[in-house]
Amino acid sequence: MKQKDKSQKTEDRKQKTENGGQRTEDRSQMPDVRSQKTVGAPNYEPRIVGFLCNWCSYAGADKAGASQTPYPPNVSIIKVMCSGRIDPQFVLKAFAQGADGVLVLACHPGDCHYKEGNYRAGSRHALLLKLLDQFGIPADRCRFDFVSAGEGDKFIRVITDMVTTLKGLGPLKSQGGTHGNPES
Amino acid sequence: MKTGVYFCNCGQNIAGKIDSQAVKESISKLHPGIHVQTVDFLCSEPGTEFLEKDLRGNGIERVVLAACSPREHENTFMKALSAAGLNPYLMQMVNIREQVAWVTENPLDATAKAIRLIAAAVQRVALHDPLQKREIDICPDALVIGAGPAGLKAALALATAGRKVTVVEKTPVIGGLPVRYEELFPNMECGPCMLEPLLGEVLHGEASGNIELLTLSEVTGVVGSYGNFTITIRQRPRYIDLKTCIGCQECIGPCPVSTKNEFDCNLSDRKAISLPFQGSLPNAPSLDPSVCLRFKGEDCAKCRDACPVEGTIHFEDAECVVERKAGAIIVAIGGDLYDCASVPNLGYGKLPDVVTAAQFERMLASNGPTGGEIRTSAGKAPASIAIIHCVGSLDKNHKEYCSGICCQYAFKFNHLVGKKLPGIKRSHFYREISSPGKEEFLLYRHAQDDPDTSFFRYRDIADLKLKTDKRKIGIRYREGAGKEKGLAVDMVILCPASVPAAGTDQLGAVLEAGRDRFGFFEELHSRTDSAQSKIKGIYIAGACQAPMDIQRSMNQGMAVAGHVLSGLVPGRKLEISPMNAVVDEERCSGCRVCVSVCPYKAISFDPVKEVARVNDVLCMGCGTCVAACPSGSIKANHFTTNEIMAEIEGILS
Repeated sequence: MKQKDKSQKTEDRKQKTENGGQRTEDRSQMPDVRSQKTVGAPNYEPRIVGFLCNWCSYAGADKAGASQTPYPPNVSIIKVMCSGRIDPQFVLKAFAQGADGVLVLACHPGDCHYKEGNYRAGSRHALLLKLLDQFGIPADRCRFDFVSAGEGDKFIRVITDMVTTLKGLGPLKSQGGTHGNPES
Repeated sequence: MKTGVYFCNCGQNIAGKIDSQAVKESISKLHPGIHVQTVDFLCSEPGTEFLEKDLRGNGIERVVLAACSPREHENTFMKALSAAGLNPYLMQMVNIREQVAWVTENPLDATAKAIRLIAAAVQRVALHDPLQKREIDICPDALVIGAGPAGLKAALALATAGRKVTVVEKTPVIGGLPVRYEELFPNMECGPCMLEPLLGEVLHGEASGNIELLTLSEVTGVVGSYGNFTITIRQRPRYIDLKTCIGCQECIGPCPVSTKNEFDCNLSDRKAISLPFQGSLPNAPSLDPSVCLRFKGEDCAKCRDACPVEGTIHFEDAECVVERKAGAIIVAIGGDLYDCASVPNLGYGKLPDVVTAAQFERMLASNGPTGGEIRTSAGKAPASIAIIHCVGSLDKNHKEYCSGICCQYAFKFNHLVGKKLPGIKRSHFYREISSPGKEEFLLYRHAQDDPDTSFFRYRDIADLKLKTDKRKIGIRYREGAGKEKGLAVDMVILCPASVPAAGTDQLGAVLEAGRDRFGFFEELHSRTDSAQSKIKGIYIAGACQAPMDIQRSMNQGMAVAGHVLSGLVPGRKLEISPMNAVVDEERCSGCRVCVSVCPYKAISFDPVKEVARVNDVLCMGCGTCVAACPSGSIKANHFTTNEIMAEIEGILS
């Protein structure tokens, strides 16, 4: 099976990342690591729900899996057929249920399997951010992005970036606002 | 309700990272009495056999499969469920290989993540509905709109396979544009020689009994959907009986009325009763009531008097409306050329010797207005010509795309003109040259090697200015950013962008088939499904989908025939996936937001009940309408709000 060379591959990749390589540029865009230490518990692990469309983003997550590159385990994925199916209620429900962050991943513009579902998802997201703001949930906690079926590396970047951002922000409940109950 | 959780080790791929024992304990703690099994390779033959037996043996009613990605083996396990007598939709897969084991560094983290996801799936699967595929009867026949190369290729292929085909053609003739051209690129084959065998097969071949040809006809209405369309067609009268007319043309000579012949780009005259051009098919004239004296109240019957077959010319014929049933509709209405008057500096319409490529094709044709002679408006053979490429193509002020066919016919003109008028000077003005393909380079090379042919590359078509210059046409031009220069020629041929045909929007509205930003019929997918529209059962072929040559049009014609043959099989019912949207009519307020968001026109408004209605034949199950419905009245089967909410709860509990 693939098991044998897997650890070696992982080692190689780790080396690659440590040595810089392609990802250095993206790391520079991540929030300052020092700011994380000032908020939340030192071992705080954010809970993130990711809504992914079946055709591009979910396939992109599978592509990341096939590359066997480790990334933080904080995101639990819920598959929908199209990002256009993602009801803003789902995002609110996730926050109400105690999620620290929500990811909505869609096909790139022009790539939607259903032609235009990703555009609808994008415009709903923009509106939803305004509503979340009313609940005291900052936009950083709810991220919309495009991940194609080939972009395993981008998927990993988005997840890693989100986890870093949320570690910096700390748990949602300590932010005040609705205390995790936006539906009330 | 008894739920079974099956944990696949996938050898060491999953078991190497995720502790199945810990998963079993945690899930059993959350759901006491739940059936949890660990299997080595669940997708293998022994694995699925075990699954089937275990499901039966333990009376399992809901199944969670923690294994690889559902993109890999969801169908494999759905089949196993069916084999075990369970509804295949009562299953939820958890992707613990690609999305957990392979990507989580720490086994403890991996196990915890797997537990979260499996718990969510257990909660979700309890709400699954036993969905059923629906089957409907279909009509395996097709209706083709447009009798050009693409439409006829499709019609003949379908008729040969035994399908009934109705071909609806707007004009009195078939064959489309290229049948009017003398010679065709890249091999200089004559247009009628290339196309008449196809037209002959359609009209008189072995399969012609399966083809009904309706000329002078237009589609005015469509109801129903994929598998079962009913199409309304308005047919204008020809006034000549196609069955009895022998094509002798005795009726044409005596006709006292003349008018411009649009089939010759108005370069010649025709009678009120006429053939559009010699050799046009079907071989029977048609009568144009807009110019015929009899239809202006005069008592003229000269054509009927001259007709040797009694009862062939019927002045009494009237427009009629017919209905046809078909399982699929093929749109092949072709394209048109960009209006050169939109580039006024080229003088089209003002300078008589500035002609379009279509006009020049007719001039070259031996059955055209000049009998194949190249003549200026003064009736002389030109000593020099200019061919202007990219008129309206590759231009953000006109059409941004490259039409792809113009360079090739421009070099064809170059060759033909040189052959007919040896020594004639030919100048090509172009923005870009595009001539890809294994045969297409030949004519280009021929032009390059010709000592009488020269090339001038302009940067902007607005830099070309055409004016009358001492009985010639003076062209002021600039190459790149260079100085303005001048050239005088006897004749100019414009190669305009290929654009959608007139009437595309009108037909699109009738069919509810969308158009792209350039006005062409929009394909389902530009690379993988360019012969299908977004509306199931409506196919698009030829230059109505994009600018294209005969080769691609013919290929698309065959492609749509393939779609129909594989999708609509006589005696086989059409299977409809249950994963679609369902409206709760009690709750629906009739606001019609869903109608506006559906990309497939699958939702309509029922004016009697004042509710939205989903056509499950057209619905693709994306769920966009479900998220848009303000009253929560639409359910996405297999992705219901309750199911997804349960998944969210399960993950976060």
